Amino acid sequence: MVLEKLPEVSDKPRLSTRLIVAIILGATVLVAAAFAVGRASVPIEPTPASNSAEAGFSRDMQTHHLQAVEMSLIVRDLTDDPEIRLLAYDIATAQAQQAGQMHAWLSLWGLPQASPEPVMTWMSRPTLEGKLHDHSGDTGKDYVPGDPMPGLATNEQMETLKSLTGVEAEKYFLELMIAHHIGGVEMAEAILERSSNRAVTNLSRGMVVVQEGEINYMRDLLAERQ
Amino acid sequence: MARSDTPKTDPVVPPSAKKLTVKQEREERRRAKVEQFKKQQARAKRNRLIAIVLSSVAAVAVLALIVTVVISNATPKRNPADIDVAGVQTWQDLEYVHTNGPVDYEGLYGMNPPAGGSHNPAWLNCGVYTEPQQNENAVHALEHGAVWVTYDPDALSESDVDTLRSQLPGTYIILSPYPGLDSPVVASAWAAQVKLDGVDDERLTDFVEKYWQSPTVPEPGASCSGAINGPGKIA
Repeated sequence: MVLEKLPEVSDKPRLSTRLIVAIILGATVLVAAAFAVGRASVPIEPTPASNSAEAGFSRDMQTHHLQAVEMSLIVRDLTDDPEIRLLAYDIATAQAQQAGQMHAWLSLWGLPQASPEPVMTWMSRPTLEGKLHDHSGDTGKDYVPGDPMPGLATNEQMETLKSLTGVEAEKYFLELMIAHHIGGVEMAEAILERSSNRAVTNLSRGMVVVQEGEINYMRDLLAERQ
Repeated sequence: MARSDTPKTDPVVPPSAKKLTVKQEREERRRAKVEQFKKQQARAKRNRLIAIVLSSVAAVAVLALIVTVVISNATPKRNPADIDVAGVQTWQDLEYVHTNGPVDYEGLYGMNPPAGGSHNPAWLNCGVYTEPQQNENAVHALEHGAVWVTYDPDALSESDVDTLRSQLPGTYIILSPYPGLDSPVVASAWAAQVKLDGVDDERLTDFVEKYWQSPTVPEPGASCSGAINGPGKIA
């Protein structure tokens, strides 16, 4: 009898199928998990909502800036004084462009230009540090929703400006604009306390320093005209 | 025909079938077993192959998805805030005072040429100048986001100046000679300055990319025209 040898299993040690599949799938899960962790750890700035401080500031500050533009263009026609006219040019061109920046932010954030809430609501809300009851250091603490923006000239004041000429127009413009800038600085400081959004805080920081500098300059100009 | 001693476990052979010898029957059974074994082995091998192939396909699919996401999100541009200009000097907390008088930029801030600080209420209109300009007016333009490129007129030929000009944007730039400059070319923005080796220094482009109309200047969006032209304005 010839014993036919059964085909033998190979002598080489073989990894079981389960082990190989486990290795492949395990490696895949590892790669996928590492990828997910990597993505999650990259800080991505959240898009502000329509009732956010950023959105409120963008809307209200556009209004505020555009009145400064209007005032500046008015006074340029009321006087020959080159210093006043150049200051007005500077304010008008800079603040018009910055209003455009804020308009674009809302657009890119997918938000309406129109606010779902009364003006200044954003400023009446707590700061990032969450001081709800202790308002020390909170620039917005005195404001309630619907309040007129700080430093905004009234219709009467604008009409009065338009009725003046020469040095009288210059003095009145400077008084209005100083108050306007003080209010602007307040609003810019309020958003700095309520947001860490990079574009918003860059621009507001600039507003604070430049407008403070211009307030001092305008006080000098006003003093020269008394 | 000899009748064989068939064990009880033998399969029933149909009476019409030819009666095989014991040896032949055993051969038959062994062959059947071997075939069955071979089939099982083949099946096991095939299943193993299928399992490995399927899991590999799944792995490749996940990998392809990840690569697609990464590539489609990867933007070739870099954030200006992340640009590093070798040798750049920066200043903090500069003043924003409007003054009509001269400002000692070197004494007050350690700057030469100036790169920020107190300045004249009238900014220098941006452009290309063939004569030196008033520091206090140029600095105001820096506040508005302009980059001021100064060069040593003794170190640069006219074609050098053209080379310089060709690397710069057409707006929000002041290009002017600055006698006594300690480098052939110096580029300045508000609170930042780099001393370049010459008109071919690659850092100029990086400096412009990082600082030209930067959102961190005090008055982004302000105008660089409409105020005053300095002497020798050719563009």
